[in-house]
Amino acid sequence: MTELILLGVLTATYLMVIAKRMPALIRSFCYQSFFLFLVTLLSGFMEKQADLYIIALLILVSKVIIIPYALGLIAKKINIDDNLGLFVNAQLSLITALILTYCSWVFAKTLGFGQGYQLLAITVALSVIFIGAFLMISRMKALTQVVGLLVMENGIFLFASFVSNGMPFFVEIAIFLDVFVSVIIMGLFVYKINKLFTHIDVNKLSRLKG
Amino acid sequence: MQIIIVLGIPVLLALAALFIKKQRIFSIINSIGYLAVLSESLLLLKITAVSGSIKLYGDFIYLDILSAFFIFVISVVAFASALYSIGYIKKDIEKNAVSERKSRAYYILFNLFCFSMLFVPVVNNLGMLWVAIEMTTLISAFLVGFYNSKESVEAAWKYIIICSVGIIFALLGTILFYYAFSLLGGAKSLNWSDMAANAAAMDKNILKVAFIFILVGYGTKAGLAPMHTWLPDAHSQAVAPISALLSGVLLKTAIYAILRFGIIVIKGAGFAYFANLMILLGLASLAISCGFILVQKDLKRLLAYSSIEHVGIISIGFGLGTPWAVIGALLHIFNHAAAKSLMFFGAGNIVSVYKKHNMNGIRGVISVMPFTGFMLLLGMFALTGFPPFSLFISELLIIIAAFTKGTYLIAALLLFFLAVIFGAFIYHFGKMLFGNLPKGMEPIGEPLSGKLAFIFLLFQLCALGAIVLFIKKDLIWAAWILFQS
Repeated sequence: MTELILLGVLTATYLMVIAKRMPALIRSFCYQSFFLFLVTLLSGFMEKQADLYIIALLILVSKVIIIPYALGLIAKKINIDDNLGLFVNAQLSLITALILTYCSWVFAKTLGFGQGYQLLAITVALSVIFIGAFLMISRMKALTQVVGLLVMENGIFLFASFVSNGMPFFVEIAIFLDVFVSVIIMGLFVYKINKLFTHIDVNKLSRLKG
Repeated sequence: MQIIIVLGIPVLLALAALFIKKQRIFSIINSIGYLAVLSESLLLLKITAVSGSIKLYGDFIYLDILSAFFIFVISVVAFASALYSIGYIKKDIEKNAVSERKSRAYYILFNLFCFSMLFVPVVNNLGMLWVAIEMTTLISAFLVGFYNSKESVEAAWKYIIICSVGIIFALLGTILFYYAFSLLGGAKSLNWSDMAANAAAMDKNILKVAFIFILVGYGTKAGLAPMHTWLPDAHSQAVAPISALLSGVLLKTAIYAILRFGIIVIKGAGFAYFANLMILLGLASLAISCGFILVQKDLKRLLAYSSIEHVGIISIGFGLGTPWAVIGALLHIFNHAAAKSLMFFGAGNIVSVYKKHNMNGIRGVISVMPFTGFMLLLGMFALTGFPPFSLFISELLIIIAAFTKGTYLIAALLLFFLAVIFGAFIYHFGKMLFGNLPKGMEPIGEPLSGKLAFIFLLFQLCALGAIVLFIKKDLIWAAWILFQS
């Protein structure tokens, strides 16, 4: 069961890589977060830990509902064309994503996670992190970078929960809060950029040099 | 007890800034508050030097001399910045660059920023350490983009994105440390004190991989070379007192984090691994900053690149790792904080009078602003490591350590880069400071609070150099923490 959900996370990540428009990207992020919620719920169920239920609920509320909604709202409000502006086209991006997944698998093995579904989980987690980073550098629009950061954050969460059954509870909550605040602040800055520059193309932010 | 005062005052001041409408009165209260923080931090330094480490509130807070030292550095620069802000923000309001209302926002953010930085060295839990460092990024991003100009918002955006990505890798590293610790069996904990106690038994390979992530992550925040790209933008666009805080102490909090993890790695995976990485990144920082300093045209960017240079020197000092090199690096952390704040205050004064950053258009500073000009001249000599100032001592300690350890190549490169940077600074500042009074400008008086900030920092720069021999026992102790194994 867990394996299936993990593959769901990976599929949602690939969907993001080939997304060309903002709504598709946000929707895929929503799917990814939902699978993350399922994983957490399942491991809470199997290990009978109340903490994990609370964290699963937090994921559902913040990452599946509020953040995608807020991102959609910002995207609508700044009212620009919702093309992501791919530096690397969809096919090449997908190939890169596959290579990153393979690298993650090799990396997970060298770290010593050689057995069972833990290897799969770590591979998925690491590839989500790396693909998130790849999304950030290969897309033009500032909002994509916010999404990329959230994807990386999801990967980290997955990594933490499979490497050592999650971080201590209050640390997990603090990190959650932190991510939430950072998304709000970044959204604010995207808004400011749009107001000052009348676009959110990161590659055109080049006033500061040298 | 002291720690509650140190952390409480910034929070109280942030709250007070919400209610006190008179900007002038509040700015003075603000400085008095940070004077109190400074005195408490001195007390803290003394306590930790005498009684070793302190744990409070169920291991949540952990203090040893290393944390106390960083708290001291932060409060010195915070106090100077608070003093300098009095005159600077007043002038900004008079020029209509910011409104009275916005100046309150400035003070709220200033205090929250100081709080988040002071929080970094006191937490024991490495996860909370990560949260605290991410908090410093988020709060200071507003202070970088404070003027809402195109340049400043661009700088703030780069700052927040690059640092957030970097720091996510640091979180990955933190989790790997946690994993290595949980493999030992026994109680799971993210507390630094627990991990450091059991470091020797941890899996070497995992520690090594984890430390790479830590170094990339926190190294981004510290401004180490290949990850430094956000730094010149953010430091040059921030409000001048904040530039001082960013350059002087924000970078150092990230170095603090690297050191904490470094101590675990040294114990678990041996010193050579840590040393090689630190020296490599340090030399890269020196080389890159040296090039940019030579060809720089923008005054504040020049100072920002000089911060990268000094972070490089500090990292080489820790990498060399002999007790004297570590003392040199610790001293250098303090000295650089004081000198760089002084320079940023001077640059702030210049920019507000000349209304430009470009050094080609700035001439005759000493005749326009005699006090600032003179202080900048002294500050420049201090920053480049000229003898009467304490940076000379700290740099000398590191170079001597490099020679005595037999790493002649490192010593030679260090000397070479320092000499080139010294020449570049003399060239840039000589042109700016001297020369005739520019047309249409008259000598200008400067606010007393600003002068006090300069004198306070200059005193730190001279005095600490002189008394280093007296307090060296404590510093040796601090250095020893790094090598207990």
